[in-house]
Amino acid sequence: MQKQEVLEKIAFNVIQGRVEAEDEGFDEGLEGRPAVTELTEEALTQGVHPKSIVLEGLTKAMDVVGEKFEEEEYLIPDMLASAECVGAAMDILIPHLLKAGVESKGKFIISTVAGDLHDIGKNIVAIMLKGGGYEVIDLGADVPTERIVEAVRQHQAAFLGLSALLTTTMRVMGEVIEKLKEEGLRNNVKVLIGGAPTSSEFAKEIGADSYCKNAFEAIDVLKTMAA
Amino acid sequence: MILIGEKINATLSSVKAMVQNRDAIGISDLAKRQADAGTSFIDVNVGTGVGSRENEVQSMEWAVEAIQNELNIPLSIDSADPAVLEAGLKTRNGKPSMINSVKAQKESLEEVVPLASAYDNPLVALTMDETGIPKTVQDRLHACEKILVACERYGVSMENVFFDPLVMPIGTDTTHGLVTLRAVTEIKKEFPKAKTVLGISNISYGLPARNRLNAAFLHMAIYAGLDAAIVDPLDGEIMAEVKTAEVLAGKDRYCRRYTRAFRK
Repeated sequence: MQKQEVLEKIAFNVIQGRVEAEDEGFDEGLEGRPAVTELTEEALTQGVHPKSIVLEGLTKAMDVVGEKFEEEEYLIPDMLASAECVGAAMDILIPHLLKAGVESKGKFIISTVAGDLHDIGKNIVAIMLKGGGYEVIDLGADVPTERIVEAVRQHQAAFLGLSALLTTTMRVMGEVIEKLKEEGLRNNVKVLIGGAPTSSEFAKEIGADSYCKNAFEAIDVLKTMAA
Repeated sequence: MILIGEKINATLSSVKAMVQNRDAIGISDLAKRQADAGTSFIDVNVGTGVGSRENEVQSMEWAVEAIQNELNIPLSIDSADPAVLEAGLKTRNGKPSMINSVKAQKESLEEVVPLASAYDNPLVALTMDETGIPKTVQDRLHACEKILVACERYGVSMENVFFDPLVMPIGTDTTHGLVTLRAVTEIKKEFPKAKTVLGISNISYGLPARNRLNAAFLHMAIYAGLDAAIVDPLDGEIMAEVKTAEVLAGKDRYCRRYTRAFRK
């Protein structure tokens, strides 16, 4: 297989949401053909640079998935399947990226705030950011404000992503930002927020740096922010 | 879920006519329509209830030939008569087939299980014995035991066995549904390598709105652990219900088959 061909196949299978050969894809009849895991290994064996795999195999594909989701051709499980593909590929690629000396774009702490157990959207964002070259530290869901602030301090993170899916917990995001100010950490970290009830207006109101509608927008917003 | 299309059954008058008139186009077309609907196997039962054993043997040879000339899909060779089963398997000449069926009765076991061994085909095994269909779950499991012993003797692995704990009409006894469903669960527990199969539509025999009963029973059976179902694949509703039940039972990764069928 040519290098270009294997990268195209990786992208195709991310869009199809096929982690392993036995998996079904978005389209019918793909079972048994090599999928993202096998193709990523194959690309590495061929000597394709891990960074090219990330950019041309994974990132490009997720752009397409994002478009399809926006156009409502793809549903939530389709996006989750594609995100799982990126996660599986990144697990294989990260050691190779480190070995190749590819620098992280910065530490990104991500968390669902206290009182809120929703983590599907947050998990997708985390996978996408990993694929985008950030060192992601995922604190999980229902994380106490103090722990989030402590993590920012401990890791000296450049970015903090906060998620809330409830109108009752979105306010907690403001509390996290207040606490960061109290601790003198607010100027060192860019705060991005997201989740169904939030908005740009809300981000402004609580003093966040940006609101991101979805994982794809988060990537775009980050491009405009210097670490 | 493994689906077996039930339409080619000579107890249906239209199919009986096809068999008697040797209507090769008619029978292969009926097979094709079921294959297109998404079945894994097409059942072939040419027992018209009239004529000799020799007659059914010839009919089976003809039907298998007629279908496989047009279509490359696994067939379920269906007869209570081992000679008819063997004729069908010979005609298949090694192409993927299922043997339907054996029961936990000495003669049947001695004649049919060796066929499954010789042709290395999956075998449907009815959990009934000399006394008929057992009333209790326990007695159906005893029938499975007998079948297991015969399979071990003739070298048929449990992976190749589809136990059919038999669906009886709910209209004749309202305990029939639960006995069969519990039998499915117990068989999966006692014989974890073996598979289970049911002829779903028998549950609704003699009652109105049969589709509703068939659909609900299919859902319950899939939840109970059913691996395969004998269904009418030309009934679009039941095919839709298979996808619905499977996604809810966690058998459809990322809801692929469900969304493929129903997304706008």
